Amino acid sequence: MPRLMSGIDVGLLLWRAQFRMFINQTLRSRKPGRIVGTIVGAAIIVLAWAWEALITGVAVAAAHRFHAQIEVAHLLSLAFLGYTAVLVFSSLVFSLNALLLNPDLDLLLAAPRPVASILAGRMVLQVLRLFLLSLLFTAPALVVLAFANHNPLIPIVFSALYLLYPVFVVVIISLMSLLLVRFIPAGRGREILTLFGVALAVGINVLNFLLNPALRDSGFARRSLPLSLPDIPGASAPWLPSGWAGRSAAAALGGDWLTAIGWAFVLLAVSAVIFTVGTALSGRLYLAGWIQAVPPRRRKVAARGRRLRGAIPLLSPVLASIVIKDWRMRTRDLAQLVRFAMPVVFLFVIFGLRFPRLLSSVQGLGAGPAAAMLGLVPAWVLLFSLSLSLGLSAVSLEGQSIWVYAASPNTTLRFLEGKCWSAVLPTGVFVALVALVGESLIRPGWIWAATAVLLVVAQAASVTTLMVGIGAVFARFDWTDARRMMHPAGVFIGMALFAIITGASALLLAISLALAGATHFPLITTWLAAVTISVGGGVAVAALGLLVGNDHLRGLELG
Amino acid sequence: MLSTRLLTKRYGSLTAVEDLDLEISAGELFGFLGPNGAGKTTTIKMLVGLLRPTSGTAQVAGIDIMAEPEKAKARIGYVPDAATLYDKLSGREFLEFSGDLYHVEPRLRDRRIGALLKLFDLEQRGNDFLSGYSRGMRQKVSLAAALLHDPQVLFLDEPTVGLDPQSARQMKDILQDVCKEGKTVFFSTHILEIAERMCTRLAIINHGRLVAIGSLQDLRHMVGQDGQSLEQIFLELTGSREEDVSAVLRGLES
Repeated sequence: MPRLMSGIDVGLLLWRAQFRMFINQTLRSRKPGRIVGTIVGAAIIVLAWAWEALITGVAVAAAHRFHAQIEVAHLLSLAFLGYTAVLVFSSLVFSLNALLLNPDLDLLLAAPRPVASILAGRMVLQVLRLFLLSLLFTAPALVVLAFANHNPLIPIVFSALYLLYPVFVVVIISLMSLLLVRFIPAGRGREILTLFGVALAVGINVLNFLLNPALRDSGFARRSLPLSLPDIPGASAPWLPSGWAGRSAAAALGGDWLTAIGWAFVLLAVSAVIFTVGTALSGRLYLAGWIQAVPPRRRKVAARGRRLRGAIPLLSPVLASIVIKDWRMRTRDLAQLVRFAMPVVFLFVIFGLRFPRLLSSVQGLGAGPAAAMLGLVPAWVLLFSLSLSLGLSAVSLEGQSIWVYAASPNTTLRFLEGKCWSAVLPTGVFVALVALVGESLIRPGWIWAATAVLLVVAQAASVTTLMVGIGAVFARFDWTDARRMMHPAGVFIGMALFAIITGASALLLAISLALAGATHFPLITTWLAAVTISVGGGVAVAALGLLVGNDHLRGLELG
Repeated sequence: MLSTRLLTKRYGSLTAVEDLDLEISAGELFGFLGPNGAGKTTTIKMLVGLLRPTSGTAQVAGIDIMAEPEKAKARIGYVPDAATLYDKLSGREFLEFSGDLYHVEPRLRDRRIGALLKLFDLEQRGNDFLSGYSRGMRQKVSLAAALLHDPQVLFLDEPTVGLDPQSARQMKDILQDVCKEGKTVFFSTHILEIAERMCTRLAIINHGRLVAIGSLQDLRHMVGQDGQSLEQIFLELTGSREEDVSAVLRGLES
């Protein structure tokens, strides 16, 4: 019991420290940008809450009018079962992060507290986080439901469920993580976590595509299917936590507070037992073995001829060295490699699995510029992903090593030039390959295919350069986690500009087709004019972005 | 070789370095001392062009670091206190990259990398990723990168932190050899014993202001007591009082 209480105490201590850090980094940062950002963020949350409350209100009114025949306990049990998947994933990432990557573990373990209470403290922190996240997402809906049903019990019971439900998942996953980290060296933690994330994301997407009945048919056929709840009978089983939580929540919604509290109490009792046992076990597991002191990995060097020797034709040694260094960083660090691999994997998931149907429908258009443009769609999707992931992160990729450039005898424009090459070269090559494959399968006529491929390659160069410029404006050099390399505002602006540029380009090409039809000019003339304007416009915007990025970087003290 | 005039750096109301005047000749091994937060790192970062001074000027090898930063940086080698390196590059690859950044011709670069790896006993580990290097090994790679382009002035921020006694000795020997070749070494340190043994001249900075500059003998004259150790001089000039420390410690006990 003392270990348990100490664990809760540590959890609350950690929570308070994190809350203080959040306040210090936002409202108390004394940085106008951050304070404004926090206020804007809060305003967005309030707006989203208002929207959620409105939607819930409309849904409640509609439910009263139509009396939909839905088994509420089953629906809510399903929701909790789905939430379990989220809990498993987030807890695994959190636990492994906490054990492998967070630098404060040594500090905590050095404190005069039992190991078990430190580990329990981590679990408490994770449960509190999940509890607040659940409230953040659903609080307005709960308040509206309480008002609509004249039942103040609803938010209280749901809050209790949000607090209790994650406990068993967090404890079990933490114990599993403790077993797992015995085999994962700390130096590979980030890579293994990333790999796990990728495998899970791809697995869920593929499974969803293969198993989800909603995706078996497309278009109108899907819409004609009657609405029904997914048939997972186990979700509301009375021996599963999702069943207890679902029954409790459904009873609260129905105003049956005795049943609601009864099922919540079952959840509370089981959670308390699991937490108590889990705390004791976690300490023992931790002390049982901790294989962190693995010797550094020795590399086998490739044959001299195969190694990149710091030279790329037509590029100066400085630019070539940046390109090669970035390539090495991106391909050797799994977290960076994923930025390459994920877009290609998702391209396969989106287009590859439905390829025959898509191909036959595009081939039905016959030869001509319209088919050539449609053939570019996969390349555009890939360009979107790669230009954002490689372009926006190109400058931030340096992280705290930026001093190496800052101390070197090179201008920031030279540095940005190198970064452009390092992002444009792989993006251009991959996009060109996908465009070539698309056009050669569709066969819209060689002239249309060639100009379409040229257009998309030019767009790849210009859009990626623009992203490098935006990435320079929103550069982050203080990240330790690759997921935090890119500034959200930069990503948002990048996505918006990508949509504007490619949208304008597509519009120009469509206008060129219409113009040829209306004026009887040769189609190739208007098409080439549109391609030229489109490329020229892209280049101009990219140059502007690069100059703005350079100006911003020059203003920074990169020490 | 290195001179500053009224060099000042302010962060809002905080003055990190104020009116710093230095004049350092070629071949000098110059120690820059001061308590934590005195402004040593800020000064070095201004001198290597990483921070812009609020006012004042600094010249390295006769070149104004603010007016012609690229030209000046080509003559500077810099080793930061905790060098963040690219973990996924090998030591050799990092040196190749650094050589290219400093416009070292590839053949010369490769020859020098071989020699530097040998000098720092890193030949066997040169192809391993930097992520597997100890702090001392990373420090050695940083110093090797700083020497690769044959700079005229070498700036080192706490170069001996994290080094084992053998490596620290090796570092001292290398720095003295560098000075013998007519190059200037400017380094900050907390380890007064090293500064006392190695440096031709010393400067002590406190609260951003230069409080003393000269040879060890000059500093002894300045405090008016011959035969004092550098540690005693340092404590006297920076105002650290042992009796205050004892009083605080006694207070903690009660």
